[in-house]
Amino acid sequence: MSPPVSPSVRTPLLLALVLALLIGLPPFLDLGLQNALVNVLIAGLFALAFNLLVGQAGLLSFGHAAYFGIGAFATLHLMRAVEDGLAFPTPLLPLAGAAAGLAVGAVAGFFATLRSGVYFALVTLAIAELFHSLAPHWEGLFGGEAGLSSMRMPWGGLIFGSTLEVYYLALGWVTLSVWLLWAYTRTPFGRLTLALRDNEQRVRFLGYDAHATKVIVFAISAMFSGVAGALQAISNETANYSLFSAHVSAGVVLNTFVGGSTVFFGPALGAAAFTLFDHLVSDLTRSWQLYQGLIFVLVMLFAPGGIGGIVQHHLRHRRQLDWSRLAGPYALAGLGGALVAAGMVFMIESLSVLFGEGYAVLRRDAGGGHPPFEAFGAQWDPAGPLTWGLPLALFLAGLFLIARARRDIAALWESVRSAPAGRPAGRGPEASARSAPSGSPS
Amino acid sequence: MEFAIISALNGVIYGLLLFMVSAGLTLIFGMMGVLNFAHASFYMLGAYVAYTLSSLVGFWAGLLVAPLVVGLVGLLVERYLLRRIHAFGHAHELLLTFGLALIFEELVKLFYGDFPVNYQMPDNLRFAAFTVFGTDYPFYRLFIGGVALAMFLVLYLLLSRTRIGIVVRAAERLPSMAEALGHNIPLVFMSVFGAGAALAGLGGAVAGAFFPTNPNMALELGVIVFVVVVVGGLGSLKGSLVASLLIGLFSSFAVGIDWSLASLFDLVGLGPWARSLGGLMTMTVSSISGTIPFVLMLVVLLVRPAGLMGERS
Amino acid sequence: MKSLAAVAILSVGAALAVPAHADPLKIGIIESLSGAQTSTGRLFAAGVQYGVKDINAKGGFNGEPVEVVEYDNAGGSTGAADKFKQAVADGVNIVVQGASSAIAGQITEDVRKHNLRNPGKEIIFINVGAEAMALTGEKCHFYHFRYTTTAPMRVNALVKAMKAAGDLGTRVYSLNQNYSWGQDMQAAIEAAAPMGGYKVVGEVLHDVNKIQDFSPFVAKIKEANPDTVITGNWSNDLLLLMKATGDAGLKVRFGTAFLDQPGNIANAGETALGHYIANNYDNAAGDAAFAEDYKKVMGHYPLFVEPQTVFAMKSLQLALAKLDFHGGAIDTTKIALALEDTTYDSPVGPISVRKADHQTIRPVVVSKVVKDPKYPADGTDLGFAPVSVVPGAEAIYPVQSSCEMKRPS
Repeated sequence: MSPPVSPSVRTPLLLALVLALLIGLPPFLDLGLQNALVNVLIAGLFALAFNLLVGQAGLLSFGHAAYFGIGAFATLHLMRAVEDGLAFPTPLLPLAGAAAGLAVGAVAGFFATLRSGVYFALVTLAIAELFHSLAPHWEGLFGGEAGLSSMRMPWGGLIFGSTLEVYYLALGWVTLSVWLLWAYTRTPFGRLTLALRDNEQRVRFLGYDAHATKVIVFAISAMFSGVAGALQAISNETANYSLFSAHVSAGVVLNTFVGGSTVFFGPALGAAAFTLFDHLVSDLTRSWQLYQGLIFVLVMLFAPGGIGGIVQHHLRHRRQLDWSRLAGPYALAGLGGALVAAGMVFMIESLSVLFGEGYAVLRRDAGGGHPPFEAFGAQWDPAGPLTWGLPLALFLAGLFLIARARRDIAALWESVRSAPAGRPAGRGPEASARSAPSGSPS
Repeated sequence: MEFAIISALNGVIYGLLLFMVSAGLTLIFGMMGVLNFAHASFYMLGAYVAYTLSSLVGFWAGLLVAPLVVGLVGLLVERYLLRRIHAFGHAHELLLTFGLALIFEELVKLFYGDFPVNYQMPDNLRFAAFTVFGTDYPFYRLFIGGVALAMFLVLYLLLSRTRIGIVVRAAERLPSMAEALGHNIPLVFMSVFGAGAALAGLGGAVAGAFFPTNPNMALELGVIVFVVVVVGGLGSLKGSLVASLLIGLFSSFAVGIDWSLASLFDLVGLGPWARSLGGLMTMTVSSISGTIPFVLMLVVLLVRPAGLMGERS
Repeated sequence: MKSLAAVAILSVGAALAVPAHADPLKIGIIESLSGAQTSTGRLFAAGVQYGVKDINAKGGFNGEPVEVVEYDNAGGSTGAADKFKQAVADGVNIVVQGASSAIAGQITEDVRKHNLRNPGKEIIFINVGAEAMALTGEKCHFYHFRYTTTAPMRVNALVKAMKAAGDLGTRVYSLNQNYSWGQDMQAAIEAAAPMGGYKVVGEVLHDVNKIQDFSPFVAKIKEANPDTVITGNWSNDLLLLMKATGDAGLKVRFGTAFLDQPGNIANAGETALGHYIANNYDNAAGDAAFAEDYKKVMGHYPLFVEPQTVFAMKSLQLALAKLDFHGGAIDTTKIALALEDTTYDSPVGPISVRKADHQTIRPVVVSKVVKDPKYPADGTDLGFAPVSVVPGAEAIYPVQSSCEMKRPS
């Protein structure tokens, strides 16, 4: 084994590697994947910006689509002005999104942060719905139902016509924004927001203005959401009121919490995973959103820290863990998880075929009977025992494996747990593993 | 006049329907502090379960059984999902219900497709109750209102006049004290959650036969129900009723109102100037009737978070 | 900056690398294949499939069968923008879309920009259902072709036929959806008033496919006391409007554009009797051979938007027959030029492209809902009976001055 590298060296190394891949790889990918990567960058930045609010300040917003959308519309207005002859460098267009996000975020944040908890979430939700319901009627600002569209103008010898150019533009902005977001968490003010999440009372007693602090965090989060929206506007060259829809707000919540809101890069991880999956799977299955919802609920139930939380938890304890003994049970659990997933996917896809329109036509042609259907490259009898027995068997076998592995994993983690751990925010898998059998964590 | 009377009737009945769905939501919030994003999904499930049952066992049986089925789903959600993550805090409960709402919507799409299903009231309910100014008034609308009113009465009596009501109210105010007195608080929570879901399910089963039953109905109603609950005051049953009627009447009348901000400026002679600004100034109330409830909700949240009738904030 | 410049060079290099082997003609359908408008999206796709089957049965094009790829835009323009990029990545030559003018607006702009940026690799957009005037007005461009009617064509034909039948009356109410299409309808209804000899007694533009309960609108209509309501509403917005009108017992005649959407007649039942529709086609007005052949291939009589989609494919088939790239690269500009010069004799009359704005000049069929028609709708005993067929030359309106089309040099 190589000598241990300290994490302070390793993290920048890892990041540099990721960045090198992001810079070097895309020219060799096909156009479809390049597009998907642009979407990954945008969704990743949006999730990180959102997480500044929820992960840092503990403020759960259900209306972040508002600032994403505002950023997009502001950028489109600027693009239209450029199209009409305004001399503005195309690569700097996202500044419009940032400015609009910051301004609207400051105003909205001022009001929203007057409230906390559920009431805060409701205020943000209402603000986003306000935009969503108003935009289709506001021809001048939001282009009505159809929205606004424009065209990227060449600048400085660059045409900005190809997806690759858009990709590098987005990559530049996302890298800069992510670096700023990360740097922000290192500043004393960033530390203060963290303290705000953990104990607002105390922050106040220390003489800080809690409300002003929250407004600033909100505005900064909105500003970077605006940059993400701007990049989307540049990529699609269009924006309409659906950018404000609850689905957009929901998407960023999903990405963030599946990725893990307690880890800085967690949300980006979630966004990347979901966006890439969406690209690969959305044309294969109609049930993609169902899988997304299921994954989200499972993560909430069994790994509240998200993917990032699990990774971080393992990294923190990597010295204390006996990896050679863990490897077996982990592989077993992984296999179990794969079996459960296979069973579920089989079941859902079969049901979606059986209840779909295509099968209705088949039935009509077959005179009302239940003809066999096709799924996963084979014919299945809707009433056949194998059709339902196979997924059920996969599912149960997977559950059994997971249950077995979990016992071993819990025991192994038990020894680690007695050693001093980090702050409780990063709840790892063991928390749920322990509580699960009893059914009621206390 | 004619428009006013018809609109008032429609508004009251739509309001009562809103109340049927928001009653459970507000009870659950008042008691458990959980803002249940999946609540409107129970409304949708009610409609779909009733639709499925009505084709098998008839409309009336479907109407009776659907709320029970939905209530059972609610019980299971509370017992096996919400309770598990209660310890992680309200934010996690909120997120979980949010994920559940997504799953319910997608499951409905999986089984029933994306379009409205043909859930119809029986023909013997399809008649005009009375005629005003030559316009028939469908009996079924009154039926929806009647069911909602009956539900409000039962709920009100149950909570104010019975022992169950006392326990529930005690559990709402001071859960730890009630528990110390020997009441099974988790059971109370679970029952209230189930009952709330069942009420929403009943709402769906009744209304789905009149309004379209489609996979978007949860999303469409969901946000409005939040408005009702917030405006009425989180946790207040009476507040919900008042807010429901308010929103119902507003949505019904807004269609006929052609005022805009500019017409306000007309009063001081600045109308033409305001109209020249365009944008927000010239939007008529009828065209932004979807926006105004959210403005109302925002104002209430910021000025009086306890809502019209809530006791706490 | 340096890396960006290097990238620019790379991308230019990639653009120049044209594949040498013969490509099949690729048609991409970017439709609403999930979400609320799925049923309509599916019908457009079915029409294309039927048309392409015939092209391929007769030897395909360029020595290869024509390929059809379906993309789901999930019912929104953001999804459409995304899928258009995917279609470009897949090398699609012709994009077909129909459901929703908002989505068509997105696609036509994307196509225009793509063609500006990729000379020699242009993409054609065959619009088979989006009727907003802007698409052949301010947004018009050489590679967009509209194979359907527009609001003035439908309204003028409707008003003429209803007036001739004595069913129009003198008081007309305009109820439409608040977006480009609905606004066009309202404008057309106002413009046709002198010709139809009626007064517009009320106008409503409402939210699109969001309203659950149309009874407030019915109350408003009732108050205005019209003889006829003309509406361009489609999908839920038409269905619920008819339902609410029936429930209120309101006696008024409807002039519609999309009453033939599957499900409408079944839902409205007897209340639909006597209502009118101005449409691209009606099976009873046309040729039984077409209806029967369609049924043989697709399993049902052509419905709703399927005939117009088929006619667009037939026009494309005729245009392709004039071209031969000898197995080489496909030049879509030549296909577009050939489409301009193609006239397809549909069962109700000729369909040709107007060169100035690429709107098709086509007949409009006006029908009325009757009992026991030749082709019953939705499994009921109701259906449409043609009242008149307005020839293309009579139905067409002047080119919009906002259309400034740049032709390829």
